[in-house]
Amino acid sequence: KMELHILEHSLKVASIAKEGIQICTHGLIKLAFLPSKTRCKFFSLTETPEDYTLIVDEEGFKELPESEHLSVAEATWLALNVVSGGGSTTNSQPIGVTKIAKSVIAPLADHNISVFMLSTYQTDFILVRERDLPMVMHTLSSEFTLMRVVNGETVAANSLGVTNGFVKPKLVPRPIIHPLSSPSNMFCVTSLDPDTLPSVATLLMDVMFYSGGIKEPGASSEDTGHIRFFSFSLIEGYISLVMDEQTTQRFPNNVLFTSASGELWKMVRIGGQPLGFDECGIVAQISEPLATADIPAYYISTFKFDHALVSDGLQLSTLSVSLSLSVCMVNCRG
Amino acid sequence: MSGSKPDILWSPHHADRYVICDSELGLYRIGPVGSGETKAGALPLSVETAATLLAINSDTPYMKCVAWYPKHEPECLLAVGQANGRVVLTSLGQSHNSKCKELMGKEFVPKHARQCNTLAWNPVDSNWLAAGLDKHRADFSVLIWDISSKFSPEASVAAEKIRLSSGDTDSGLVVTKPLYELGQNDACLSLCWLPRDQKLLLAGMHRNLAIFDLRNTSQKTFVNTKAIQGVTVDPHFPDRVASFFEGQVAIWDLRKFEKPVLTLTEQPKPLTKVAWCPTRMGLLATLTRDSNIIRLYDMQHTPTPIGDETEPTIIERSVQPSNSLIGSFAWHPTSQNRMVVVSAANRVMTDFTVFERISLAWSSTTSLMWACGRHLYECAEGVGGEGTVEKDIATKMRQRAQSRYGHDTVQVWKNHLLAGGDDPQLKSLWYTLVPFPMQVSLMKQYTEDVEQKQQGSKQALVYSGIKNIVKSSSGTTENRRCWSGSDRQTDVPRFHSEERSLALRLCGWINRGPDINVEPFLRSLEGEGEWERAAAVALFNLDIRRAIQILNKGASAERGDLNLNVVAMALSGYTDEKSSLWREMCSSLRLQLKNPYLCVMFAFLTSEPGTYDGVLYESSVAVTDRVAFACMFLNDAQLPRYMEKLTSEMKEVGNLEGILLTGLTKDGVDLMESYVDRTGDVQTASFCMLKGSPGEVVKDPRVQCWIENYRNLLDAWRFWHKRAEFDIHRSKLDPSSKPLAQVFVSCNFCGKSISYSCSAMPHQGRGFSQYGVSGSPTKSKVTSCPGCRKPLPRCALCLMNMGTPVSNCPGTGKSDEKVDLTRENKLAQFNNWFTWCHNCRHGGHAGHILSWFRDHTECPVSACTCKCMQLDTTGNLVFLSRSQSD
Repeated sequence: KMELHILEHSLKVASIAKEGIQICTHGLIKLAFLPSKTRCKFFSLTETPEDYTLIVDEEGFKELPESEHLSVAEATWLALNVVSGGGSTTNSQPIGVTKIAKSVIAPLADHNISVFMLSTYQTDFILVRERDLPMVMHTLSSEFTLMRVVNGETVAANSLGVTNGFVKPKLVPRPIIHPLSSPSNMFCVTSLDPDTLPSVATLLMDVMFYSGGIKEPGASSEDTGHIRFFSFSLIEGYISLVMDEQTTQRFPNNVLFTSASGELWKMVRIGGQPLGFDECGIVAQISEPLATADIPAYYISTFKFDHALVSDGLQLSTLSVSLSLSVCMVNCRG
Repeated sequence: MSGSKPDILWSPHHADRYVICDSELGLYRIGPVGSGETKAGALPLSVETAATLLAINSDTPYMKCVAWYPKHEPECLLAVGQANGRVVLTSLGQSHNSKCKELMGKEFVPKHARQCNTLAWNPVDSNWLAAGLDKHRADFSVLIWDISSKFSPEASVAAEKIRLSSGDTDSGLVVTKPLYELGQNDACLSLCWLPRDQKLLLAGMHRNLAIFDLRNTSQKTFVNTKAIQGVTVDPHFPDRVASFFEGQVAIWDLRKFEKPVLTLTEQPKPLTKVAWCPTRMGLLATLTRDSNIIRLYDMQHTPTPIGDETEPTIIERSVQPSNSLIGSFAWHPTSQNRMVVVSAANRVMTDFTVFERISLAWSSTTSLMWACGRHLYECAEGVGGEGTVEKDIATKMRQRAQSRYGHDTVQVWKNHLLAGGDDPQLKSLWYTLVPFPMQVSLMKQYTEDVEQKQQGSKQALVYSGIKNIVKSSSGTTENRRCWSGSDRQTDVPRFHSEERSLALRLCGWINRGPDINVEPFLRSLEGEGEWERAAAVALFNLDIRRAIQILNKGASAERGDLNLNVVAMALSGYTDEKSSLWREMCSSLRLQLKNPYLCVMFAFLTSEPGTYDGVLYESSVAVTDRVAFACMFLNDAQLPRYMEKLTSEMKEVGNLEGILLTGLTKDGVDLMESYVDRTGDVQTASFCMLKGSPGEVVKDPRVQCWIENYRNLLDAWRFWHKRAEFDIHRSKLDPSSKPLAQVFVSCNFCGKSISYSCSAMPHQGRGFSQYGVSGSPTKSKVTSCPGCRKPLPRCALCLMNMGTPVSNCPGTGKSDEKVDLTRENKLAQFNNWFTWCHNCRHGGHAGHILSWFRDHTECPVSACTCKCMQLDTTGNLVFLSRSQSD
């Protein structure tokens, strides 16, 4: 039986408007590059064309000023993490969200629990609202050994044992209802040695906060079909970076961890209108078909849209088949 | 290790070589300062040792961890774990070993790059190298590489080529397929192979400690904990493991892996290294960040951690090898308690030996032993050096206990001889304790023959001390006597009273009787050769002629002091004229006399009447003599004051001669307390104070403490019999100290003691009197258990229940019985006792059983073949003596 760890971070999800980023940079730099100066243990910043999405624990949130440019989602979120646990170590290793699509994401969707996903180089975090936790535990207790992290130590989570009053899941087919789009640039999920972070800090700051100023020679990003997307997270001491192939080339050799296959990922962007936080099943709609087709994927939710990263190359055709319905919808809208 | 944090590795096979790793690898050799081998560039490590740099290797950047190949050959092969998770084999110095050349530069590459945190060579199969890596969502964190494996072509060719093209020139040296992959989607912070089995690997994972068993990789034993860094097995105790988290070290027992057996006190700063000492059992060294001390935990006393609640004790201490902040340390593999420490900055190294704790133990027989490291030292009291150094009080007490010191209750004074007869204070004490019945007899106007009676009822009469006796002095008469043998009138007044006479007798100056006759005392002093003292006593009794005679005798005696004649001459010139030359010279020159008695003689002669401070406060003169002197020459006002002063002086110094004054009273206990404080002689204190009044003195907690300590001492010396004797002695003088009954006869049916219901008085044997022991025929006998009313066991011979007197029943050999009864009354009572065999549990009246076994060897119960009497040693003796007499 796999273990589902309920981590102890109380998380806030916020959006920083692009024009307001300079008032937050002091706090963000502290959170990203000077972890010993704060008590923050969970920090993630993702830049999309629309805004910056910030996921940060309460300690980290104190570093940010109040501002009209900073909009915060009401709820407090908790991060869940699936761990292979004490049981078997299998050799078949589905990568990323595919692994948890059927066991976590689908059941939560069936119970109308909204989730917020954050994939990193090291693992996948499933964020759920704190108030949904009893329901989450109830839903997943049959599939997982539930563990809570308390003061850094894992302890068995109390099974709530309450079933009355919970809505019966409605097991209906889940068509993809949001439009999908796929930018032309390819992405890389990577990490680096925390000891080398100071040496690339200025470069990272440039990438994170000054992307707007750089106009690539020739055509604008809109024209090439490229999307502006960069994600930095520092979670429990582990650094994870998501950036497009062009950005990786700005880093010195041997700083970024390249994975064995040197793989690049294709992005699928979900949503035409901002998705909001209440709708359920969006992640499930995308991840389930991918899992069925055994396609490795990353999934990163941001304040307004969701982003799936799927394997590039050979699997693209499979992807099209899997997501044929949505591709169709994109075409309709496009 | 990346620049900031250096580490030290000791060569597994060369005790003089170690590697320092910081941004590069440096191989050093350690040797004595100034030896032929050490070159000019040697770095001093301590007063005696220096290190020489042998080789440097800076080929491997991004070093995160290093592990030294455990086998003899190749000698200097190191595995380096890098920031990107690759493990590279490298070496230091020149090696001509072909295997080494083959392995050099070989790389082991994980599928997904992330930091390599730890490396561990398998100590048995040295081809196996375990690497612990950081977390990756789709990869394993514990990879076990086989360093002998070749590049495996079946591994995904296309992908490899893309990656390897980036820099790996010789792809033949790259291995991408690990032997084992463990810990999926987890991080591994520390690793060590377990000595229990070469296929057991202990890993500190992200939030748990896990034991992977390579014989069955689908199973792992794990425990959730934060303490996952630096796992390390105690080399002396294969089931004991230490790990740490931030400032806290946890010690685990792998046999009881659910939780740490103990956690060490938390340090304010995070730990950086924890290492068991390889040369000393149970010694753990820990280092925290930014610290100049190494903390040591000695778990010597906890070889096997036990129980859930009992946290074993550990001794914590710290050592400071040098003044600078410590970067890392490493225990020397063979040299006891030795380590090399490297500073956090500038690679300053120090060779340091932890000084072993000294543990010390006194034996119960004064020998002292202490252990330091592997050395054991014993210090015993010198046997030959008699007389030169005074023996320890424990030795003295032990010898005295063996010679039955304190047990002579008839001739009490002899106890000082039993004590060795060489301690004047003890002598005075035991002589003081002698005459108290006589004292009481006198006080109460008893006649001499009463004395004998009082021997029986000693406890009631307690010596209360001269101080109290003279306090109640009344009817003192004063007279002025002539110097005997001279018609000259003295102007020295002498005082008399009954109490004063008693005091003189207590001081031993005079004998019983109405006369004050010191002659017998003088003779005994002469007999003992105490010439000066005898002369002084004679003089104090105003008999100058006798004094001169004694001195002459002393001078002419064997080995006598001829100076005594000179003193006699001086004495003979005595004149009572106040302004004579004699008087003037004597009062100044007397201070030069070495003997205190000679000195006080002249002090007496030159004193004004009533002012005898020169005599009374001469501390070298025996207290008895000073007290006797005071009783003769001080008036009723002066005497109690002097007594009071002398008593407090005695109490102050704990002089046992003072017991003469205080008696066995509270004052006496105070005096004894300072004596015990000074000497530790609880033996004398116990025996002496037991003679005090049971209500007041013996019950004093101090006295009880001395008694208990003396008993403990006897037990510690295994003088069980002496202790029993002492207890008996004690219970005679202090009946409340009698022990309660410890053996009971319990009923077969209800299990309660059959003496239970009649034990209103909980003293031994009381209850048994009703079971036929007392032998009184009129007393009602109990033949059933008072608890459950079931009958008591029957006698196997007369078939009567226990409790029935033997005389009521017709037994075998009745005629013999009668003989016994007439022969000795006590034996008749014993015949009524119930006895039984501890083997077959059959029994009966002692008389019956005894007579049965006179003719039989087997148990009287039919079909029981137990040879009861032969099993009983004392029974055999009786049996034999009987058969001889028959």
